[in-house]
Amino acid sequence: MNGSGKEHIIKSYDDELARLTGEIVRMGELAATQLESAIDVVERRDERAAQRVVANDDAIDQMEQEISHDVVRLLALRAPIAGDLRNVFAALRIAADIERIGDYAANVAKRSIPLSMVAPVAPASGLAYLAELAAEQVREVLAAYNDRDTERAYQVWQNDVALDDAYTGYFRQLLTYMMEDPRNITPCTHLLFMAKNIERIGDHATNIAENIWFQVHGEPLNKQRIKRDFTSNPEPGRLDE
Amino acid sequence: MNDSALAAPPVQAAAATPPKLKVRDLNFYYDGFHALKGISMDVPEKQVTAIIGPSGCGKSTLLRIFNRIYAIYPKLEARGSIELDGENILAPGYSMNRLRSKVGMVFQKPVPFPMTIFENVAYGIRHHERLSRSEMEARVEQALRSAALWDEVKDKLKQNALGLSGGQQQRLCIARAIALRPEVLLLDEPTSALDPIATGRIEQLVEELKHEYTIVIVTHNMQQAARCSDRTAFMYLGELIEFDRTEQIFTKPGKKQTEDYITGRFG
Amino acid sequence: MSALYLRRRIANWVALALSGLATLLGLAFLVWILWETLRQGIAALDLKLFTKITAYGEDGGLANAMVGSLIIDFIGIAIATPIGVLAGTWLAEYANRTRLGEAIRFLNDILLSAPSIVLGLFVYTIVVLPITSLTSGNTTFSGFAGGVALALIALPVIVRTTDEMLRLVPSTLREAALSLGVPQWKLTCQILVRAARSGIITGVLLALARISGETAPLLFTAFGNNYMTLNPLDKMASLPQVIYQYANDPGDAMHALAWAGAFVVTMFVLLLSLASRFVLSRNKVSHE
Repeated sequence: MNGSGKEHIIKSYDDELARLTGEIVRMGELAATQLESAIDVVERRDERAAQRVVANDDAIDQMEQEISHDVVRLLALRAPIAGDLRNVFAALRIAADIERIGDYAANVAKRSIPLSMVAPVAPASGLAYLAELAAEQVREVLAAYNDRDTERAYQVWQNDVALDDAYTGYFRQLLTYMMEDPRNITPCTHLLFMAKNIERIGDHATNIAENIWFQVHGEPLNKQRIKRDFTSNPEPGRLDE
Repeated sequence: MNDSALAAPPVQAAAATPPKLKVRDLNFYYDGFHALKGISMDVPEKQVTAIIGPSGCGKSTLLRIFNRIYAIYPKLEARGSIELDGENILAPGYSMNRLRSKVGMVFQKPVPFPMTIFENVAYGIRHHERLSRSEMEARVEQALRSAALWDEVKDKLKQNALGLSGGQQQRLCIARAIALRPEVLLLDEPTSALDPIATGRIEQLVEELKHEYTIVIVTHNMQQAARCSDRTAFMYLGELIEFDRTEQIFTKPGKKQTEDYITGRFG
Repeated sequence: MSALYLRRRIANWVALALSGLATLLGLAFLVWILWETLRQGIAALDLKLFTKITAYGEDGGLANAMVGSLIIDFIGIAIATPIGVLAGTWLAEYANRTRLGEAIRFLNDILLSAPSIVLGLFVYTIVVLPITSLTSGNTTFSGFAGGVALALIALPVIVRTTDEMLRLVPSTLREAALSLGVPQWKLTCQILVRAARSGIITGVLLALARISGETAPLLFTAFGNNYMTLNPLDKMASLPQVIYQYANDPGDAMHALAWAGAFVVTMFVLLLSLASRFVLSRNKVSHE
């Protein structure tokens, strides 16, 4: 169930905690699917589909509200402490991160509409690669959450660098296109915002990874890991933040 | 009081929280049964130390060794040492009278003596000190005020204490204990027979009393330990499993056994 | 389901009927005894019962026996109460859970059920005979000897109730007092006896009720006296003994007097029982 492995004496407590985990995973899957649909919409330049993706975000918001409700209920009725408390606390924070991920995915879909009204530009295909990386991160971190697998979460946390690097590269690519031809400025600006959204999704995935780490180990991730692994290798790719 | 104690800056003393009770390798035997196994812990001065653990883990036993009340029953034996201000209270020469004037105790069920409210508080004082009538009245009032009971009983000091409510009776028992001006106050599940309001009052009282007394509280109520203690000790099957800051115990205990117990999992 | 329910109801009904019947049987005899005592006793009740002495026989009353009973019972209780309370206290507070304490508790229980006539003979041997030898051969029965015999009957009752009542005092009260540094003797005298006071008083009253009806031990000790005496070293009449004597008399008038005496004793015992109930109930109220 969680780090302890033993069941609660009160069985329904376990059921409620399991339900919470299930809700988070389902919400996360929905957000990852939204992201993939958004990219699909960009590629297909399908305005209707884009509007469907935007509308779907309500479902994610709805799930976040349900999770908040369940968390408040658990806090009030079960008064969780120690590992259970971290479990519930992490769920609340992870739900907020997923909700943001959903918002960004919807934003990407929303911007695909004006983008599809102008002529296609070459760098549009680069966005898909970025989105793939981000979606992979989201799915990985959800799997890590489901299994309380901190190593896997830590991998996600480290892999954010790759996404950031890709974003930085894509950013430069877009700048080049805009300098080449002023007519590219409009579509490229949209793409720039979309890329930024996708990069932010990656950041939320790392937030989730940090919350998983805290939930299991009871201490923040960055403090000890940075000291151990990154002292000689300062965190790259955060220039634009 | 010697010079070095006077010279010590108060800030440092507050930061270091010196141990009031030093328990070292304490073993307790009940008719051959090994009830406490090698307990060692430092109870910090002027803080609240909570002892939690399942029934029969020895937490009440440990408390009852701190004032040696166990000694009134036959076939009980404590080995090891408990130093109160550097003196071993388990040493045969340690005066029981002195120990009990320094270490007060409040029990699970409120047990007022069958006498008036005033007499309940004055009774213990009278045994240890000779006070004039007015001194005694002042002393009783002070104790009742400290126990947050004065306003409720000041007009009926001559009434039988058995007429008070359960919560009032328990506060009377606390007043009775602190009337002797002890240094350590032992509370053995002091709210287990009280309703939540009376419990809240006692917890608030504990909060206030810790500025003057070293308090050790045994409780079955985990939330109570979390609410009103600075340090928490978890005991299981006669052993001290973990002893740490309360915040640490309730957010991230060091031992799996502790976590399983406080989160309500099968032990 | 309903068959099971029915069976339970039948079992319940049968058990209820049987226990009710048993209660009725016991009560019937009790009521019969009380009724006969009342009926016959009240019929013989008149003023001379309380004013005249037994020396007048059929024309007399029971005044000397009543006074004698009061004196003998008082002596008995006066001897038994301090000894009994102290012994009971010792058993509960100092000898509790010790071998010696258990042994003495056991012996006390035997004394509690000892035939009263044996106790009468015992007192005859240790009190009456020695005094007789001191007074050169005059057999010296006395109210005092009767009182000693009754004390021996009251003693185990008082020991037992004191012991029980003190042991009923919660051990936490002891711990609370001891944890204030109060010594054991103060705890016992000032707190425990106070907490158990009403129970102990009840025990004494019940012991008094018990001895006020005793006949056998008085036959060899107080013996009886047809004249009024207030001297406890003299032979002394007592109600139960006179009742016994008159009941054995062939005359109907004597029988009537015996019934009246029995009525007086019964009323006395009844009043004592009510008094002890009152003491107990008053104590209960103060606990709430």
